[in-house]
Amino acid sequence: MNHQNSRRAFLADIGMGFTGLAAGAMLFRDGVSRSLASTESGVTDAGSLGLPHHLPRAKRVIWLFMSGGTSHMESFDPKPALSKYAGKEIKETPFASALESPLTKENVRIVVPNDANGHIWHKLYPLQVGFKKRGHSGIEVSDWWPHVGSVIDEIAVVRSMWTTDNNHGAQLQFHTGRHRLDGFYPTIGAWTHYGLGAINENLPSFVVLGTPIADCCGGNEGHGGDYLGPEHNGIRLNVDPKNPLPFASPPVASGVTPDEQKSKFDLLNKLNKLGGIEYPDDPALTARIKSYELAYRMQTAVPETMRFSEESDATQELYGLNEKPTQDFGRLCLAARRLVERGVRFVQVFHGSNGGAGAWDSHAKLKDNHSKLCGQVDKPIAGLIKDLKQRGMLDDTLVVWGTEFGRTPGAQNSDGRDHHPYGFSIWLAGGGVKGGIVHGATDELGFHAVENRHYITDLHATVLHQLGLDSRRLNVPGRKRLEIDYGQVIKGILT
Amino acid sequence: MLMLAIISWTTASLEAADKVDYVTQIKPIFTHHCSMCHGAVKQKGGIRVDAGVLIHKGTDDGAIIAPGKADESLLLRAVIGAEGVEKMPKDGKPLSAEQIALLKRWINEGAAYPKEEIIPLDPAKHWAFNVPMKSELPKVKDEAWSKNPIDAFIAAQHEKQGLTPLEEAEPNVWLRRVYLDLIGLPPTEAETAAFVKECGEGQGPGAKGQGSNPQSTIRNPQSAYDRVVEKLLASPRYGERWGRHWMDIWRYSDWYGYQKELRNSQKHIWRWRDWIIESLNADKPYDRMIVEMLAADEAAPTDQDALRATGFLTRNYYKFNRHVWLDSTVEHTGKAFLGLTLNCARCHDHMYDPVSQEEYYKFRAIFEPYQVRYDRVPGGGNDAEKNGLSRAYDAELNAKTFLFERGNDKMPREELVITPGVPKVFVTAARDMSIAQVDLPAEAYYPGMQPLIRESALAAAEKEWKSRLAAVEKTEQPGELLQKQADAAEAELNALKARIAADDARFAAPPSADAGNLAKEAARLSRQAKVVAAEAAEVEARQQVAATEQALANDEKKNAKPVDDAKKKLDAAQKELVKARDTLQKTDDQYAALSAIYPATSTGRRHALAQWITSKKNPLTARVVVNHIWLRHFGSPLVSTVFDFGLSGKPPTHPQLLDWLAVELMEHNWSHKHIHRLIVTSRAYRMASNGVPYGAPSRQGGARATGNAEAPPFRDGAPANPQSAIRDPQSIDPDNTWLWRMNSRRMEAEIVRDSVIHLAGRLDTTMAGPELDENAGLTTYRRSIYYRHAMEKQMVFLEMFDGASPTECYRRAETIAPQQALAMVNSSLSVDMARLIARDLAAKVDAKPDDETSNARFVTAAFARILSRAPSEQERAACLAFLLEQTRILPGNASAKDANETKPGQIKPSSVPSLRAMENFVHVLLNHHEFVTIR
Repeated sequence: MNHQNSRRAFLADIGMGFTGLAAGAMLFRDGVSRSLASTESGVTDAGSLGLPHHLPRAKRVIWLFMSGGTSHMESFDPKPALSKYAGKEIKETPFASALESPLTKENVRIVVPNDANGHIWHKLYPLQVGFKKRGHSGIEVSDWWPHVGSVIDEIAVVRSMWTTDNNHGAQLQFHTGRHRLDGFYPTIGAWTHYGLGAINENLPSFVVLGTPIADCCGGNEGHGGDYLGPEHNGIRLNVDPKNPLPFASPPVASGVTPDEQKSKFDLLNKLNKLGGIEYPDDPALTARIKSYELAYRMQTAVPETMRFSEESDATQELYGLNEKPTQDFGRLCLAARRLVERGVRFVQVFHGSNGGAGAWDSHAKLKDNHSKLCGQVDKPIAGLIKDLKQRGMLDDTLVVWGTEFGRTPGAQNSDGRDHHPYGFSIWLAGGGVKGGIVHGATDELGFHAVENRHYITDLHATVLHQLGLDSRRLNVPGRKRLEIDYGQVIKGILT
Repeated sequence: MLMLAIISWTTASLEAADKVDYVTQIKPIFTHHCSMCHGAVKQKGGIRVDAGVLIHKGTDDGAIIAPGKADESLLLRAVIGAEGVEKMPKDGKPLSAEQIALLKRWINEGAAYPKEEIIPLDPAKHWAFNVPMKSELPKVKDEAWSKNPIDAFIAAQHEKQGLTPLEEAEPNVWLRRVYLDLIGLPPTEAETAAFVKECGEGQGPGAKGQGSNPQSTIRNPQSAYDRVVEKLLASPRYGERWGRHWMDIWRYSDWYGYQKELRNSQKHIWRWRDWIIESLNADKPYDRMIVEMLAADEAAPTDQDALRATGFLTRNYYKFNRHVWLDSTVEHTGKAFLGLTLNCARCHDHMYDPVSQEEYYKFRAIFEPYQVRYDRVPGGGNDAEKNGLSRAYDAELNAKTFLFERGNDKMPREELVITPGVPKVFVTAARDMSIAQVDLPAEAYYPGMQPLIRESALAAAEKEWKSRLAAVEKTEQPGELLQKQADAAEAELNALKARIAADDARFAAPPSADAGNLAKEAARLSRQAKVVAAEAAEVEARQQVAATEQALANDEKKNAKPVDDAKKKLDAAQKELVKARDTLQKTDDQYAALSAIYPATSTGRRHALAQWITSKKNPLTARVVVNHIWLRHFGSPLVSTVFDFGLSGKPPTHPQLLDWLAVELMEHNWSHKHIHRLIVTSRAYRMASNGVPYGAPSRQGGARATGNAEAPPFRDGAPANPQSAIRDPQSIDPDNTWLWRMNSRRMEAEIVRDSVIHLAGRLDTTMAGPELDENAGLTTYRRSIYYRHAMEKQMVFLEMFDGASPTECYRRAETIAPQQALAMVNSSLSVDMARLIARDLAAKVDAKPDDETSNARFVTAAFARILSRAPSEQERAACLAFLLEQTRILPGNASAKDANETKPGQIKPSSVPSLRAMENFVHVLLNHHEFVTIR
């Protein structure tokens, strides 16, 4: 950002600059600074004051991410050929051409080929779980996902995703669209926040629930704003009704009164904004000011949001709050609903963090692993969709389910599957997405995405599009975005 | 870099399908099947096929391809296994018919390859794997800008990039910066005022010479700056500030587990924390620090102070899995000292660096014999586990290391012998590691030889004997029991003395001639002592029977159980006595040692590793450490991947500077303080983090002083003043990669807390000692470094501000979250401290209740105390308006009697509205962005 522009923008932001000190609290909102800078550079004409580029179909996003790599074949993309040819080498099957496909070379960006993981495994491994046609649409979903299967008519499955990292850096890539080797970039949640700002001023606009991806695989950069500035980072909230927010209120013994507190925040706001005169280029100052504005409101808003006791027994049951395996993730899903209900724009929910590659990473004992993990998330996720639907919120809430890559058709050792970036599944529901459809396909082995192939950023473009944003018009002066960063909207799944 | 190149090629179009595409179709074949032996690392037969140009070049003996004539090409003949040619690939699967067909077509089509293809570098030639050398200082045009050699390197880049650095920071800004950096506490307002005065400003902190151009004023006498730096480096607070940094890097963690069960780290590991602080304060050479951390038990086996350092190793203790424990040791030894991600080679060869899986296990073998134990310490009592020294030692000298297939400890490669060693690539670059077994002094492997243990054992035995004797003497008719007990105590004392004498003989080097006899004598006396003790016990039991029988006779209920019990005990005592007497027949030399006896030798592996790491020929050690120091002064490192200097790490922004500093460190006896001194006295460190470039026309008087926000110096990247040739550096280098300004940083968690307490004058500067309760951090006022810090046991306040993860923290995160705001607004700590500061300042400026005239003085004093500067006119106006308005709305409470309460958590607001408004105002300043920011 150019010195003068940012300086002027800052002064305009705080409602003083050329006109002297004015009360600026409400003027200092998302979008103002950006729109000013953007219009000056002629990059965008919208996205200002939270205005979208076009009519949005969704107001908010719940982004569910399974860390470690969920098997697509054993979830949403059944491949009977695997069982039929189980134990055979790929080249002995009619589908040997998968190995020679140019996609194999095009797809992957590996560095040294002799890693223990991230291989093509040739001996086919049979499906570890049964499938059924579900819903009116009759889409096949595995028996590890019975609850999600029961709402499949709300869901558009995309079976033709691909990525380029054959290791867990793909987790970062799933959120930034860039290979780990390229470094860190703004994430999809940060772009959303940047493009649209907040709806509710009492809660952060971009919230992270669960434990984010581990340092090995991107760490906090998986929900970071990077060059958009720290104010666009996702903010982690504890989902612990007993202790929803540390330091939520002044100690009782201190005798601090609400009026006193309020006027302190007001003075602080003024002083920090005056600091912007001396430090116009300091993004941390902007973020700090916002963090205080938000903090003031969060004091009551967060504990209120996490008060699950307000939910009926039926709702708690819907999310599996009463059963041990589903309890933890159920709480996250319920918190996500309560957050978006209160106007949070983007909720990123992580499952499977284990301090390393992620719990879904089933190089061995895939059956035990996936049946257990699906048992933790299946019911809460389906509960979330049902709950949004019964509240009339599904129409404008986009639910995204994803994972960093799929798993190999071939067996890794005796009972596992390896990382598989060439083809895998994700799904979307609500928010102007067609229900009960399948888009794209992998080949008969589930090896390559062959029909309607989509790179990660196509998902990003689709999410932004539903929110009313054009990914091509999200640019920051001085930061070059590549063609592949923008992605293509997956039009086939939109209503 | 090699990888990046491959990646960008893979996106190349496949459309020209008629012709074979080298990048997408040919290169992968070579990469997967050939380059391991014919690439950058190995060039068997002098052949390399990892770049088109090299394939064309062939070997010294001739070409390997004949473009256009595939059938005549050696390469093709080799892969098809033609007669007279060794079939390739020699190891692994042969190429498929399709692959061979592709190769054939490619050669026949002329064997084209892209000109821009990068020839992969031999990993051994990687910059960080070669010993750093000092290059000549670059010649720069503006020599006046530089204050020391660091500046020459920085200025050279400025000139190269067309950047003009910012002017110097105001003295008060620099002073706050250097205080926070070196000791982690801000200067007091008196210190700031004195320094600013000395620097020739004379008008109070932050007040620039009104209307004058600061560049034209001669000020900032070097000596004033130097004096500050020397004072801070000599302060014990320095070790506490930097101790925390190194505790991040060295993974300090207090012990933790499930309730009372120890699962990770070790009890009393705080002694290692104290060693860190003391070592830094004493400026112990960094090479020595490493030796002590990795191998004090071998290098200084009887020096308990040094042994504390092995907390670096004992910290990795993990109850449930020895492999996890050793893997952590390997991983973090590699990352902390060498900037190497050795851990990536646990399951397979390293993906980027020339470290094989076998070399991972060779490195592990260095640590395989080590274990942890507690030693007794002076004043620590008899139970070392309760209050002792946690230390490392080699317990199993012959412990075997196995390579685990795919890192799976269920699949050891039993046939492969793993010997201790370091990765080969460094053996040529540095020097080999030579391992020599260490013979330990007896005191080290047998703590029972230590005077500490002997003397306390003797003292206890003597005390027992004397008290028994006294009991006999003060009783008129002592009776059998008392007499026997005294005899037993005497026998025990005699036996102990004999054991000590026997120990002296046995553990002398060489053992003395009478060792055998003395041992027999000690054994004999021990047996006798046991007999006498058994006799005493028998007498006691017998008397007990008599007593219970007496009681039974008088008992109406006739409860015989006590008698039965006593008889059983007597029976047991008599059996013991018989057994004890039986032993008198023996003539052996087995007597009890005064403590556990550990192996008398240590493998010397860790000491050898430490010496290898600290060799001046080691290319990594000094670079890695100066990079860490640099990061913590400038807010961004020279090598951004601070724990990965390998091939996948990022190259340094200023390679020559990094190397110069690394060599400088080694040439100055590995002195950290020398590097700090160089950095903080540099011109680069003096730059402002905001404002106008050096030599550019300044904003008139400075915005802060006048509140004038007009007249930006640049318009669209060009100077507002067309006379000036200076371009806006922000537009050239927005990320400040080339350091044209100082980076603003946020205080680390501990600094936030310590500074708030310090400003209220409440900081308890007591040093050292056991970890403090993490839950007491808001109501007790020691420095944060002394509070418990472990998984799930850390101060919540510190967690909010990105406190270090106890498991791994090579670089702190610097987030800005609303939770931080709440911690500063709502914690009892910040409320309490604000009130204390306000009371103090009110007294200083003589603020009378409800006397508005004192408000202006108070505002100035509060800014000076908390932000180390004066307020601008606008700020002053806003603050004064606040004080008036707040006084109006706050409740008066004439009956409040707690106004002078100073008990933490119970400090009540002032009952006088105007004073309470001042407290509110101070609290606001503690929440100011600038307070938590290091400018």
